[in-house]
Amino acid sequence: MNWNLWFGKLEDNKLNVVDFHIAFQNAQNDSPLPFNLFEVGRSLFRDDRDYYKTLRKIAIKICEERVEKELKREDRYVVALVKALEEIEESKNLLSEKLDDIRGIVENELTKAFDDRIKYLDEMGKMIENEIERVMTKIAPNITELLGAKIAAKLLERAGSFEKLVKLPASKIQIMGAEKSLYKALSRIKKGQKAKVPKHGIIFVHPYIRQLPKSKRGKMARFLAAKIAIAAKIDYFRGELNESILEAVRKRYEELSR
Amino acid sequence: MKEIMRNVYLKDGNLFTKSRYGSHYGEKVLSGYREWIPWRSKLAAMILKGYRISFSGKEKLLYLGAASGTTVSHLADILDEGIIYAVEYAAKPFVKLLELAKERENIVPLLFDASKPQIYSGIVEKVDFIYQDISQRNQIEILEKNIDFFLKKEGSFLIMVKARSIDSTTSPSEVFKEVTRRIEEKFDLLATDSLEPYHRDHIFIYGKI
Repeated sequence: MNWNLWFGKLEDNKLNVVDFHIAFQNAQNDSPLPFNLFEVGRSLFRDDRDYYKTLRKIAIKICEERVEKELKREDRYVVALVKALEEIEESKNLLSEKLDDIRGIVENELTKAFDDRIKYLDEMGKMIENEIERVMTKIAPNITELLGAKIAAKLLERAGSFEKLVKLPASKIQIMGAEKSLYKALSRIKKGQKAKVPKHGIIFVHPYIRQLPKSKRGKMARFLAAKIAIAAKIDYFRGELNESILEAVRKRYEELSR
Repeated sequence: MKEIMRNVYLKDGNLFTKSRYGSHYGEKVLSGYREWIPWRSKLAAMILKGYRISFSGKEKLLYLGAASGTTVSHLADILDEGIIYAVEYAAKPFVKLLELAKERENIVPLLFDASKPQIYSGIVEKVDFIYQDISQRNQIEILEKNIDFFLKKEGSFLIMVKARSIDSTTSPSEVFKEVTRRIEEKFDLLATDSLEPYHRDHIFIYGKI
């Protein structure tokens, strides 16, 4: 049996020492080691302390490099995924429409090919959604818990980057995605005409807003947006889940739905 | 001050650990003692509720879900002659954990996914204790896998369970019943209780192989 250890490889009970930095990154084994790692590695070092000192130094160095890389990359990845998902959903809808048109006239091999393609797009969309969920819970646990991964990722995409999202005021978050109607309303107001200012954009699809009667949606959207603004900042600067935010939103929803 | 566990002290209802180090997460530091805030650390909540774990200070401990190192920092005070392998997957809190690990000689920080112990199986040795605080649906499975890979035969474990992350549709008490049943199937249960009023809908389960 071969075992990959952070200081080398154990092959048929013979230890081959490898560069620690390389060995550390390949220290994978499919099953639990049948021996104690420390006892095998101990002889390579002056004393117990030296073993841990070396391990710690390598762990810190490699994990620090990895963390820096990850922090730079992941929000851009989500933005790209959201864009891809939107494209896929649009093509799916377009194809379905055309398929219905054709099916109204004939049913043949061609319509079956259409059908397969739509199913395929469907699967791909699901794969992307899963990936969005995985990354979002990792990089932004609070807004993800508050909104669900998909809506949270859409906000991130609209903002452009995590850093930009964090800098947005709650009022902007509230109407994000409804810019068109907002500016239409604003220009009407400027002309002295009557206008309806939008209450919500992307966050409208959140069940806590959608399930409320129209008259209360604005209140809920305002509250939710304020909490999102806080949650995004916690995600960006601390990265840990804070239960009290969701709790507050739920309480407000219950108050309003009474 | 009264020592109630190794390097853990109780004074006027407040918990402290004996420490040579400064504040890590904004806690108060009084001449060699760091305050241990039960609302921030589930282990502190458990101890304040009267439960004790007998540490000698020399233990090797695997900590899953180390986050930014709040609880880890106090465990590092307690296990001043031991080693803590602190596993955390999320990059953001890990930055803070790294700061702590650079200052403390007994913490090995590991940026890995705790649900895949294979990947760090050649790094972590056999340990005396596994501590887990991960709010994920499959948290019990994660614990079982890591026990399989790393816990010594005579070792024990402590897991903090959050009801809502396992199933948000059934009541917390139902979730806890099911979780405790699953643990008892394979391991010996030493103690379990809720963490109210410090942490809502959370319990701890303390057990051994």
